[in-house]
Amino acid sequence: MIWFLVLTIEVENIMSQKLVIDPVTRVEGHGKVTVHLDENNKVQDAKFHIVEFRGFERFIQGHPYWEAPVLVQRLCGICPVSHHLAAAKAIDQIVGLDPEDLSLPTQKIRKLLHFGQVFQSHALHFFYLASPDLLFGANSDPLKRNVVGVAMEYPELAKKGILMRKFGQEIIKMVAGKRIHGIATTPGGVHKTISAKERAYFLDGKDIPSVDTMIEWSLEILDFLKAYHINNKDFLDTFAKYSSGHLGLVNKKNGFLELYDGHLRAMDAEGNITLDDVANDDYNQYFYESVEKWTYLKFPYLKHLGREKGWNRVGPLARLNICDGIETPLAEQERQDFKAITNGAINNMTMHTHWARLIEILYCAEMMKKLLEDDDILSNDLIRKGERRNEGIGIIEAPRGTLIHHYEVDDKDRITRCNLIVSTTHNNEPMNQAVRWVANNVLSGKNEITEGMMNQIEVAIRAYDPCLSCATHAMGQMPFELQLFDHHGDLIQEKIRN
Amino acid sequence: MTMTKKSKVLLFGIGNCGRADDGLGWAFLDKMKSQLPENYDYEYRYQLQIEDADLASQYDTVIFIDAHKHFFEGGFKYKRCFSKATNSFTTHELDPTTVLYLTESIFGKKPQAYILGINGEKYSLDMGLSDAAEQNLLKAISFFKEEILLQTVNVLS
Repeated sequence: MIWFLVLTIEVENIMSQKLVIDPVTRVEGHGKVTVHLDENNKVQDAKFHIVEFRGFERFIQGHPYWEAPVLVQRLCGICPVSHHLAAAKAIDQIVGLDPEDLSLPTQKIRKLLHFGQVFQSHALHFFYLASPDLLFGANSDPLKRNVVGVAMEYPELAKKGILMRKFGQEIIKMVAGKRIHGIATTPGGVHKTISAKERAYFLDGKDIPSVDTMIEWSLEILDFLKAYHINNKDFLDTFAKYSSGHLGLVNKKNGFLELYDGHLRAMDAEGNITLDDVANDDYNQYFYESVEKWTYLKFPYLKHLGREKGWNRVGPLARLNICDGIETPLAEQERQDFKAITNGAINNMTMHTHWARLIEILYCAEMMKKLLEDDDILSNDLIRKGERRNEGIGIIEAPRGTLIHHYEVDDKDRITRCNLIVSTTHNNEPMNQAVRWVANNVLSGKNEITEGMMNQIEVAIRAYDPCLSCATHAMGQMPFELQLFDHHGDLIQEKIRN
Repeated sequence: MTMTKKSKVLLFGIGNCGRADDGLGWAFLDKMKSQLPENYDYEYRYQLQIEDADLASQYDTVIFIDAHKHFFEGGFKYKRCFSKATNSFTTHELDPTTVLYLTESIFGKKPQAYILGINGEKYSLDMGLSDAAEQNLLKAISFFKEEILLQTVNVLS
C-alpha cells in the first residue's frame, strides 16, 4: 500500500488573518511545512517535516536473509524495483558474490529491469507531477494544475507520458512478473530468463510503441524543456537555487553515469571532489546520520565535512554533476549541452533537476534498446554461488538518488541488523534548503500570501521528486498534522486529520 | 448490460488484502477468476493509476470492484459509472470516473463502465475479511453470476 501525499501549509499573520491551503499536492507521501513569522511577517524559519515513522529496519530483523529483497521493496509502490535490486545486491554478498561475480546474463537482465524502473518513475514524475507547474505556471488555478488539466489541454503530451510510463512498467512486468512488487532476483542471480517473444514485444512496435519510439519521444520532451528554458530562463535558473554538494555512483572504470553498480563520488558546490570514488563496502566509513526533533527523517552527511557542510543532493542533477560522461550517444550529447549552460561548472540550479531527469529518461531508453538487442538476456546462465558471508551492502542509484541497503545476518541465516539510507533521506537537507529559499524570497514580508506563493514551496520540493514513504519506511496511515507558530514561538493552531 | 459474443470485459479488483475488508476487490477476483469466460480479463490494483486509462480503452466494458464504506441494502451495489474530470486526486488516489475521462479524452474510447461496491466494516492492518464482509462478498458474487455472467451466456447462446 502506498500513501498519497498531502502537503499542507498553514500560515497565520499577526492580524490573525488565517490562510489555509489544503491542496493535495504532487509528491509521493505525507509531509508538512511550518513557517515561522516574526512580528513584521518576515519569515524567521521554515521547515519541511516528514511525519511518517520508520519500521522496516526493525521488523525485517529475525527474517531469513533471502526474504529481504521481497519484503523491503514493500515500503514503496513507486520504486519497489530499486529496493528489490539494492537488497538483492546486498544479499548476493551474503551468499559470497560481489556484483561482478554474477553471470553476465543476470547482470544484464537486472540492469534492464532497473532501466525500465527509472524510465517509468521519471516519466511519472515529469508528466504527472511536474509538467502541470511548467505548462500552466505555479500561480495558475490549482484545479487545473494537475495531470487531468494536462490531458484536457495537451492530450498528445499526456498520451505520450502515459505510454512512456507504461513501457517501463511492461519491462518490469516482463522481468519481475508484475508491474509492482514483482520478484526478479534470487540470491546470486535472477529467477528467469527472457524469451525471444517477450523481447520482440518491445522491439517490433506491434502491440505497444517500440523502444525506438521511446527514444524519439524522450528527445521530443527534451526539446520541449529546452524551448521552455529559453522562454522561462529566469525561473528555471534562479528559483530555489543554492549551493550544495552532490553525491552519486559513477562507473568504476571510466567515471561515467552509473545507475546499477559503481563507486561513490561526491563533489562540493565548486566541483571539488569530497568523496573520491569509494567502494560500496566502505560507505559506512564516510557517512553519519543526524536526527532532529521535528522530523522523522534523518540527515545523512559526510563525516569528514561535518553536519553543516557534509550534506549532499542526490538524484538526476547530482548524477549529471559528478559523472564524467554518458555511454549512450544521444544522452551524452544532451549532457554536453547541459554542462555548457554552466561552462562545465557544477550546476546548483534546483529546477534544472527536471532537465537532468529528462536526460536520464533518454539514457534509460537508449540503454533499454541496447540491452533488449543483446542476446545475452536470452541465456539460461542465471545463478552463481559463492562462500557465505555475514554482511552484505547493496548500493544503487534509484530514480531519486543513491539508495543504500546494508544487512548483517547470523549463522542461522537470520537478519540481525538492517540499515537503509534512501534517496529522499539524502535530499532531506536539500529540500529544507529549498523550502527556506522560497520562504525567504517569495513569502517573507508579504501582506497577502496567495495560493500561488504557497504552491511555490511545493514546486521547490517537487523538483526532488521526494518519496516520503520510502524515506521513513512508512507503514499504516499516519495522522496528518498542521502546526502554526506565532512570533513568540507559541503554537496558535493545530489541526489533525486521520 | 449489453454484450455481444466478441465483447471484451475487464474487471478491476481494487484494494489491499493487508487491510482487512479493503481486500474485498481482490477477494472477489480470487473467487471468480477461474469461472470467468474467455472474453473476460481481470487486474488486481492497490489503487487505480493514470495508465489504467490506456488499459480500459482496449475493452468494451469495464467493471470496477471495490470495498465500500457506505451502507448498501443487501451488502453491495452495482451501478453504471460515467466519465467525469475530477481534480482532487493524486497519482495514488484516482477514482474510476477520472480514469474513464482520461480514456475518452486521451485515447478516444468510451467503454461501458460499472462499479460493483461491496460493503466492508473493518479496515485495520489485518489479513482476511470480516464475517460481514465475507457474507456481502458471497451475495455480490451470487448477483454477478446470475445477473451478469448468466445473462451474458444467455445472450451469447
